[in-house]
Amino acid sequence: MKKHPMLKYLKEEGPAGPRLPLIMCPGCGAGQVLNYALHAVDTLLQEDALRKEDFVFISGVGCSSRLASHYLNFDSGWTLHGRALSVATGALLANPRLRIVVLTGDGDAAAIGGNHFIHTCRRNMDMTILCMNNGLYGMTGGQVAPTTPIGKTTTTTPYGNVEDEFDLCRLAQTAGATYVARWTTAHPHQVIKSIIKGVRKKGTAFIEILSQCPVHLKTSPVEMFRNMKKITVPLKKSAAGPVEGKIPVGEFCDIKKPDWIERYQNIMDQLSE
Amino acid sequence: MSNNEILKPGVYYLQGAQACFEGAIMAGCRVYAGYPITPATEIMEHAAHRLPRLGGRFIQMEDEISSASVLVGASWAGAKAMTATSSPGFSLMQEVISFAIMTETPLVIVDVQRPGPGQGYITTGQEDVMQARWGHHGEGSIIALSPASVQDMFEFTIEAFNLAERWRTPVLVMAEETVAHMRERLIVPPLDTIPIVNRTKPQDMGIASEHYLPYGHAQVPPMATWGEGYNINHVSLVHHEDGNVTRYSPTVHVENVARIHRKIEGNVDAIARIETRELEGCRHVLICYGSVSRTGIEAVLEARAERGIPIGFIRLHTLWPFPEKQLRDLLPDVDVIFVPEMNLGMMAHPIMEALRDRCRRMVSIPSLGSLHSPEMILARIYEELQ
Amino acid sequence: MTRHQRFEIRIAGFGGQGVVTIGRILGTAFSVYGGQNSVNTQSYGPESRGGACRSEVVVSEGDINYPYVRNADVLIALSQVALDTYIGELKEGGILVFDPDAVTRIPPAGGYLRYAVPTVALAHETGDLKYQNAVALGALYALIRNRIEEAPLVKALRQSVPPKTINTNMAAFDKGKRYVQSHFSREA
Repeated sequence: MKKHPMLKYLKEEGPAGPRLPLIMCPGCGAGQVLNYALHAVDTLLQEDALRKEDFVFISGVGCSSRLASHYLNFDSGWTLHGRALSVATGALLANPRLRIVVLTGDGDAAAIGGNHFIHTCRRNMDMTILCMNNGLYGMTGGQVAPTTPIGKTTTTTPYGNVEDEFDLCRLAQTAGATYVARWTTAHPHQVIKSIIKGVRKKGTAFIEILSQCPVHLKTSPVEMFRNMKKITVPLKKSAAGPVEGKIPVGEFCDIKKPDWIERYQNIMDQLSE
Repeated sequence: MSNNEILKPGVYYLQGAQACFEGAIMAGCRVYAGYPITPATEIMEHAAHRLPRLGGRFIQMEDEISSASVLVGASWAGAKAMTATSSPGFSLMQEVISFAIMTETPLVIVDVQRPGPGQGYITTGQEDVMQARWGHHGEGSIIALSPASVQDMFEFTIEAFNLAERWRTPVLVMAEETVAHMRERLIVPPLDTIPIVNRTKPQDMGIASEHYLPYGHAQVPPMATWGEGYNINHVSLVHHEDGNVTRYSPTVHVENVARIHRKIEGNVDAIARIETRELEGCRHVLICYGSVSRTGIEAVLEARAERGIPIGFIRLHTLWPFPEKQLRDLLPDVDVIFVPEMNLGMMAHPIMEALRDRCRRMVSIPSLGSLHSPEMILARIYEELQ
Repeated sequence: MTRHQRFEIRIAGFGGQGVVTIGRILGTAFSVYGGQNSVNTQSYGPESRGGACRSEVVVSEGDINYPYVRNADVLIALSQVALDTYIGELKEGGILVFDPDAVTRIPPAGGYLRYAVPTVALAHETGDLKYQNAVALGALYALIRNRIEEAPLVKALRQSVPPKTINTNMAAFDKGKRYVQSHFSREA
């Protein structure tokens, strides 16, 4: 049987035994995002002057964050709920050469991690944030999240959600991120291209990926996957105004602005004269 | 200190806050992340001035939780990193401390203590000394030092980094407003007399990436740095030596956590330090730590000189791991043990536990919000012993 | 173990009068240039309500244990509140320096030596109220010349103030010094 081409980037085995399969539920979108991320890294390793050891994957806590637990044959850190961006900031301050990819979820990034999310974007810290948004808290059993649509029933909104949801991309853009995009797990090429762009670009790249949680949303993964295209609309088409019931996907912004490291380096250079 | 060099040997007149960060620089600290809080802010401002001149990076974060988290990432990427906070911020950092203990991450946190609870006040205190040991959730121990002078702020901060690197652990410097704000002489000795310890890396032990066990090889595992091809996965879920988190068993759990616990508690003799004076022939003893030691020794010397009271002096340089055996070995049987603290009696508990059978009674001397005056301590001593 | 004699100075006034700076200059003078040991502290305590501010310098040839004033040898009081608060802790035979325009009520007893120095007026003569602390420092120097030489004190003063103000600070220092020398025949 032919091996999956991205397996070379994973730790299948260790002295304590096998690490695969991933703990993700069958049909979970996180596995797909991992695949896309590794494809992006694979391309970058071939095309750019980057080495495997330049990459670091940092995650918070949650289903998506599990991707960086012990599967990756890269440097990685499975950190604290909500604090991945701060840990990533620390790594960058110590070694600005690292190409940091943050794996996070909607609850991890926008609830408990919300404050750090805003400030990381504001600082334009050089990292690529992959936010797997399934609209709820998966690991803990399906509670409401800041990205859950109004009216939705979850384990903590048994009578329907009374809150509006965040638009994470608008939040990132307003806060100061210089590359912001939204896709879904049903947009593999676009996701891969955006990740490549994000890593190549200096500054905060925020890539939201709508990701299916078939278990808690009690819908078959195939149906959810097919719906990704149905519930989304290309950004250009919604330029005139929001399209009823559809989520815009595409690149929200791609602007040039010095990142934090560059600005601080200027000060360091001036002081050493 | 508007120059681009570490302190040269000589005599300086500095605030404890400045001496603290100069010690950090001396130890090799090149990353600082922090958040303003009285009375620790001076340390941060000094770091902001000094670091970019020395090739380091400083950042003011949005809160204490992210500040402590920055230290973790910086340490994993190979840097020595530090923050300074005060009591309310120290509470916020406890989850990160717990995380650093489990992932065996060297870092230094200075807590310039002030009274609590809540906002408390902005003067001095020693009310976090229990939180230092027990504030982080879960098992695993920690190292906490207690400076009493500007010279100590310099030396103990260097030692904190050395201990962090040697034992792969977060280390706390439990200062107080008193010692952070006072100005005194700092004597910087010839630089080659200052020991600097760096973490052992797998390369140092000739361990190649394919044979590397991130939590194995030694009681204190060699620590790989990100970016050097060791593909290290840092995890804080209970783990095997090789970092596997899925193959859970009670045996693995105990092995993992017990090793981390023993790493510190089983090496108290190598880690903890105690200072003693006038113990020979003493019938009573005063045990103290931190700034209170300044008053404590003044009171002890006066009680001996003015009234001939045979009272000795013990100062804990290290609060945790608690040096129980060392204390017992040092102390003869005494009548009264006096324990002055800027709290309502905290270290008094492990002291009592350790020395219950070595004394007739123990007298706690509390002070909240200000340093004991010699008169306060003497009054208690004379009252107890008359 | 010899317990060295301590020489204890306390300076008190309102925030903004340069109380903390005086303490820092004295500490630097004694410890860095004067070859002695000293501890300099300032208070953030309840005294800051009502604007009061306090700085202390404890000097010794040997180790200094307790870092705060136990029994002051010198009190510089630049406000009435400062005097009211701290006069009780000035030892008999100690030195009290006060500004008579700000401090008008002094308890009669106590056995200390009083030196009224119009620091505010002399500061204005020098050019600005902000030089009040340099005036006070000069006045103090004239009274404790057996404790510290002028050179280390001047050196400490010069390094503790913004470079552009060094000359004016020195003029203010001299004014304070000469005021004491000409008005008081007895020096400590």
